Amino acid sequence: MSRSTRTGPKPAVQVCLHPGLQEPAEKDYAVIGKSKPKIDGREKVTGQARYTADLKFPNMLYGKILTSPHAHARILSIDTSEAEKIPGVKAVITHKDVPALKYGISPARWDENIFCIDTVKFVGDKVAAVACLDEETCYKALKAIKVEYEALPAVLDPLHAMDEDAPRIHPEYPRNINTEIHQNFGDVEEAFRKAAYVRTDLFIGNRAYQAPMEPHTATSIWQDGKLTVYSSTQSPHYFQYYIAREFGLPMGDVRVIKTYVGGGFGGKLEPTGLEFAGAVLARLTGRPVKMFYDRAEMFAHNRGRHRQYMKLTTGVDADGRILGVHADFIMDGGAYTSLGIATAYYAGAMLTLTYDFINYRFDMHRVYTNLPACGAQRGHGAPQPRYAFEAHLDNIAKELGIDPLELRLRNARRPNTITPNEFVVNSCEMAACLEQARKASGWADKKGKLPAGRGIGVAAGSFVSGAGYPIYRTDLPHSAAMIKVAEDGTAATLYTGAVDIGQGSDTILCQMAAEAMGYTYEQMKIVAADTETTPHDLGAYASRQTLMSGAAVKQAGEEVRKQLLEMAGEMLNLPSERLNVRSGKIFAKDDPAVALSFEAAARTFFVKKGPLVGRGAYTPPRLGGKFKGAPVGTSPAYSFAAQVSEVEIDEETGEVAVLDVWDVHDCGQVINPALLHAQVHGALYMGMGESIWEEVRFDAKGKILNPTLGEYRIPTALDMPRMHSILVPSYEPAAPWGVKEVGEGATIPTMGCYRNAIFDAMGVSVNSLPLTAEKVWAALREKRKAGGEDVWDPMACECFLK
Amino acid sequence: MYLPDFDYYTPESLTEATGLLVRLGPSAMVLAGGTDILVKMKNGLLAPSALVSLKNLHELRRIRWEDDRGLVIGALATHNEISNSAAAQERFLSLSEAAHKLANNQVRNRGTIGGNLVNAIPSADLPPILIALGAYVTLAGPDGGRTVQVENFFTGVSSCAIEPGREILTEVVIPPQETTGSTYIKFGLRRSGALAVVGVAAAVTMDGDTVRDARICLGAVYKTPTRAVQAEQVIIGKRWTGELLEQAGRTAVGCCLPISDIRGSAEYRRDLVRVLTRRALKRAITEGHV
Amino acid sequence: MQAIADKQGIKRYLINLTVNGDEYSPVVKGNTLLVNLLRDELDLTGTKKGCELGDCGSCTVLMDDKPVDSCLVLALEADGCEIVTIEGVAQNGELDRLQRSFIDNAAIQCGYCTPGMILSAKALLARNPHPTEPEVREAIAGNLCRCTGYVNIVKAVLEAAEVKE
Repeated sequence: MSRSTRTGPKPAVQVCLHPGLQEPAEKDYAVIGKSKPKIDGREKVTGQARYTADLKFPNMLYGKILTSPHAHARILSIDTSEAEKIPGVKAVITHKDVPALKYGISPARWDENIFCIDTVKFVGDKVAAVACLDEETCYKALKAIKVEYEALPAVLDPLHAMDEDAPRIHPEYPRNINTEIHQNFGDVEEAFRKAAYVRTDLFIGNRAYQAPMEPHTATSIWQDGKLTVYSSTQSPHYFQYYIAREFGLPMGDVRVIKTYVGGGFGGKLEPTGLEFAGAVLARLTGRPVKMFYDRAEMFAHNRGRHRQYMKLTTGVDADGRILGVHADFIMDGGAYTSLGIATAYYAGAMLTLTYDFINYRFDMHRVYTNLPACGAQRGHGAPQPRYAFEAHLDNIAKELGIDPLELRLRNARRPNTITPNEFVVNSCEMAACLEQARKASGWADKKGKLPAGRGIGVAAGSFVSGAGYPIYRTDLPHSAAMIKVAEDGTAATLYTGAVDIGQGSDTILCQMAAEAMGYTYEQMKIVAADTETTPHDLGAYASRQTLMSGAAVKQAGEEVRKQLLEMAGEMLNLPSERLNVRSGKIFAKDDPAVALSFEAAARTFFVKKGPLVGRGAYTPPRLGGKFKGAPVGTSPAYSFAAQVSEVEIDEETGEVAVLDVWDVHDCGQVINPALLHAQVHGALYMGMGESIWEEVRFDAKGKILNPTLGEYRIPTALDMPRMHSILVPSYEPAAPWGVKEVGEGATIPTMGCYRNAIFDAMGVSVNSLPLTAEKVWAALREKRKAGGEDVWDPMACECFLK
Repeated sequence: MYLPDFDYYTPESLTEATGLLVRLGPSAMVLAGGTDILVKMKNGLLAPSALVSLKNLHELRRIRWEDDRGLVIGALATHNEISNSAAAQERFLSLSEAAHKLANNQVRNRGTIGGNLVNAIPSADLPPILIALGAYVTLAGPDGGRTVQVENFFTGVSSCAIEPGREILTEVVIPPQETTGSTYIKFGLRRSGALAVVGVAAAVTMDGDTVRDARICLGAVYKTPTRAVQAEQVIIGKRWTGELLEQAGRTAVGCCLPISDIRGSAEYRRDLVRVLTRRALKRAITEGHV
Repeated sequence: MQAIADKQGIKRYLINLTVNGDEYSPVVKGNTLLVNLLRDELDLTGTKKGCELGDCGSCTVLMDDKPVDSCLVLALEADGCEIVTIEGVAQNGELDRLQRSFIDNAAIQCGYCTPGMILSAKALLARNPHPTEPEVREAIAGNLCRCTGYVNIVKAVLEAAEVKE
């Protein structure tokens, strides 16, 4: 396997090659690669699927959390006496009643308490909680809790959070700097000196929110000192780990169960006050306690997209080849760390993947503000820098007179290369994606030839297929799986800790299990995401499960297959090497007339040897360099995507209508084409929402102005363009069957793609997200004024009203 | 979320309904579709002691044409019923189209024209076209009924001429008229489930290319829907041209006083008034349907 | 309507309604919402709560054949009405053509919007058996989905329209 000979630090790692995972010459899969119907489809279309809020338990209470109305304040006193008197209120708790141990999902920064002790740090911070007989009483009880606050000056502007005189939000973090990063690869200054053209641009992102349709819910139940928590979670493991830690319990005494989850998108990866306070209320009352957030509380809890202020400087040669990049960013982290350290590193780390350049400098400050905490949202730190860089590239292309798509082709990453920050890229079809996008969109016939008001734009992106390292330091495998074949072989159950949050992992893992065993998908059953019954898995994030959980499932299936064929060999009096099994039928490779059913062999196995079980586990190889932050961005494999969009602008109102979007993806082997394209649709849709409409807005006191789905506008069915989802063939050697991710990859290029289409249509650059009609309108007016046009001033007309 | 407690009544007649309101006092409210009231109650903005539901007053649902009065729309007609009504589509298609632009399908199946008027938010979608078409409302009270021109019905943000605790809006009437074309343009930030950032309704009566009469009403740009009388004066009596309509648009900006909020700045809204007034007039003039 | 006051003086009312063809006579308070009556009293949890303000459509049910947001309907207002929830769509265990089409077209991801979507679509096909794509989009514009981008949902509804009932 040849590696790029461009200069850069020598890789300290090897490409990971799974034994036996050469790309097959002929791919004749029985189960994977097929659009099998979702295994939970029937439950969901009939209303039988029970999400956490649908679960009822005997003697159950309802719980809610009292939150702060202030962005920054000292708690002087809390009086719960009136609340306790209300009929139906069973318990009221404050910081006195819960462990004071600070927690957080990022081990380097445990900065949250279950309830604030001294100060509240954002509007929505947790102060107390109640458990009551019904929902209504909870709201009334919360109102009756009297909290005396002393308002403190608040930090609401991230650009001033680091000022010397800014109020300090966390005592341990001077100048409100939560994370500071300085990475330097190669020699950027030298690159700029050699460059034919150097350009600096500044872009601003938007504070967005995952807004899953299902609100957070958690129900806690104690039995004999052991805790069970049903939660709307993306990772029962991380929840189990952190809940056990908070209460000083062994992991084995904490059971976390995920039922059905109505979307996560990164916001449900860390335990919330609902799990922690719920556990305490359940213990105090001796009854199950169901806690939930309503929609406004969801917005306040947040853990959504960081807003980034992004300064990019790039030097290119006369042909537009990138020689060096300096990314200097500030991100608004809100009041707590959440997953923000990783986000801060990802923001810079991912910039080196898409295009091939050696000299790279990344400076980042993630600051605390007295606003809801930001965390990981689909694309985790990468989408806004992608928007900025793609816009920046189009500015460069325009300056140099090079077609933007051609410019990208010249810089596209190639397979079997290493990035300056030491990410090993095996498969990579970035160029093919761009070529295919060019063809499918009719780029050549449209670029520069569209009627007035129409434009076409391109952007590219890439993402990890799972993170090389877990969120906290552990030597546990990242995924494990078990398969048990039923005693008579008529069914097989896959046990996996992997978490289906709607993306379809239950379905594709069953397909993978069946493929590996030589069984049928239709006979598969699955038990998933219950820390007591299913083997460990880190959960659904960083687009890891197809590759990582899939690798464990494949191994488990192959173990079943091996034992099965050995038994079949005994039964047929043939060596097992001469046998194969496919779609539930065992046959001799050289004589298909010699046949035996999977069921018959499985049954005989059980009779003679006991349960037919397969086990698997997956740990990524040791990846990445040795510099600070090197682990973030490492992955066994990377996906690549190119997007082209065609827009139509109303030149007078600035309204942007996106007509068509073409997404071309390199995501390796496809397990389920229908589900894969569905993921592209969804990822693109979220990227689109953040591009044009979505923004969380605050008043002057740090309170969210639009905590509703009416004013935080996510696109409706009428707002969508025609979407064309296309794949280019590729095969990833470091992955089971050559798979890669797709769940986040299509979110990443979208914002830059639309900005570039607007730039093409109108010659105006919108340098901040979202790309609202008003911003386009304002930019158009500025352009006309700059061109000497007499632009009518709506503020200067005669007013007839009093 | 939860609703505060309240007593609930379902009168069988209008007389019973107004009698109840008088008896219960001003803290009682009328309940039609509930899509505005229940939201406000959940948000803690309203806490009526009683809700008087009009659900049994079936005669208030009817939409029909009466030759002497015009299009008579019962206050309880839902937005979808108005949108789908053959009578409305035949007589005043622009009203039917405007009703279709509200909120989304589910809300339109419950929300009523009476509720939309009495709720009286500045960005309401029905008032501008009703005002452009010269509509009036009938209010029933314990002492009888009265009519109020929709143009005079709104008295401020979320307030209207109805006497709380006494009167019930029973019908909206659009009189027969010589209008040759009308339209309502709603500018929202997405294509469904969006409040109007700016709304412009225009109704014209043309004699060939000459504007005999014009009525323009702006929504979402003042504390109440507002007639752009000065803009109307620009085109009345003249032959229309693109430039004339642009002039009318610019003049219309003087008839509004929009605020800046999370949906748009005052400056943007003003320029939208200019553009959309011009476009609404052009559509009303050239597309021919009322 | 007859009311009986409880110990706190809060009035409770007996109402009669039909849900999925079954008759019920629950006792409700004035402030009981239809969505909570369905989910909590009748244990029909297929109807979901996503926003409680009529913005998302997760709570969509059919009320006398019309899709409405049940979070904005008082249980009292549903007195005398026929309600259909997602549990009432399949008949005797046989999936409706819409349900089959959703499965066949991969129109379900997390599934939270699915009950509301199917009911909006079902009402659409009842009043407009051969809708155009814009008409489908209009009918489901009040059902927000965060997972699918609506692509396969629209496809599923159009395909179901082709199937004879």
